[in-house]
Amino acid sequence: MFTRSSAHLKLSALPKPFLIARSLVASQFRPIATSISASTQNFSPDGAHSILVAQRKQRPISPHLGIYQPQLTWCGSAANRITGSILSVGAYGFFAAYAVAPVFGWPFDSVTIAAAFSGLPAATKFGIKFAVTLPFSYHSWNGIRHLLWDTGKALDIKDVYRTGYVVLGLTVVSAICLAMV
Amino acid sequence: MASLFRPSLRTSAATAVMLRLGRPVTTTSSATTAAGVRCTAMKNLEILRQAGMAKKGFHASASRKILPAGPQVIQGTVNEAVEVPDPNAAHGSYHWSFERLISVALIPLTVAPFAAGSINPVTDAILGATIVIHSHIGFESMIVDYIPHRRYPALRKGAMWALKGATMLVLVGLYEFETNDVGITEAVKRVWKA
Ligand code: HEM
Repeated sequence: MFTRSSAHLKLSALPKPFLIARSLVASQFRPIATSISASTQNFSPDGAHSILVAQRKQRPISPHLGIYQPQLTWCGSAANRITGSILSVGAYGFFAAYAVAPVFGWPFDSVTIAAAFSGLPAATKFGIKFAVTLPFSYHSWNGIRHLLWDTGKALDIKDVYRTGYVVLGLTVVSAICLAMV
Repeated sequence: MASLFRPSLRTSAATAVMLRLGRPVTTTSSATTAAGVRCTAMKNLEILRQAGMAKKGFHASASRKILPAGPQVIQGTVNEAVEVPDPNAAHGSYHWSFERLISVALIPLTVAPFAAGSINPVTDAILGATIVIHSHIGFESMIVDYIPHRRYPALRKGAMWALKGATMLVLVGLYEFETNDVGITEAVKRVWKA
């Protein structure tokens, strides 16, 4: 009954609703007799596991950051991490170098560093200072913004933008002022 | 820009695939078996795969190679749910509160030297220690984010231990600097005025 040929024979004699039912039936059931033999493979649990692992590697990966429109929200968040790591790498580098300096006989102390710094041209001095005060200012102001969020305040999108612009403004002003001192 | 090209691209690709998808319908009406239908369905998937549609359909821009998918580690059988760690306040809310406490402490410690012009050695040492702890926690969260334990258990462990080692060395350096040199705020001041 479910083979296509038998359904075909009386096709014209059947009422319309039955025709629809016929096509549903035909598409949902395997024929009892068929000349085509589907080949199957047996898999052990280990085999199934390795197929799953292989399939996972084919999954789409998160899109590259470049496809996202730059927005104050996520760019500001990334900047917090980037500026924080610049400051921390600097601090770790400085103190680690100070710890091992005697071992290698490096002249690494505040007097030597200040003396070396004083010999630089004014523009270079400003550049180096600004390279420190910019991440320091941004991260500090934005850190305060983070702590404000942690109290549950200023979390709607309007406030997120408002505080974001405040942080940017304060950062530029304080970074330049601190570098000029 | 990509959106300008995309509709036409998608339409032509979809049309090409649909034309080929269309074929089985005609074959179906001419006495093929249901098993035959299933076979063509598989073949259609193959066509989709070859056309790159199976995956590309979700992407609006050209795919870029970023990082290869890391090793896929599946614990237990294929149907097992992810293991939920035991709730532990020391790893959760206390840890979070401690992080905030350290961050909040940084505010007066940072403002003090600017306001007072200089700070005493003890406050300076506290500022230094707070910066180191705050940085240690910051590095830790980056390791947790970028080196998932599930995929790179050894690398994760190694990075955490490397961080612990670095922090110890840095604390030694901080101690030496606070005891043998002029302290952080005074040193910054001298370099700034140099
Ligand atoms: C007033 C001063 C500061 C405040 C209020 C502050 C606040 C914060 C806060 C709240 C976070 C957590 C952000 C989050 O929840 O994702 C954070 C992260 C961090 N901070 Fe600070 N911070 C300050 C100064 C510093 C300094 C001086 C350094 C380095 C020497 C530093 C290094 C870091 C690092 C590396 C992170 C981790 C970044 C991340 O996970 O994305 N911070 N800071």
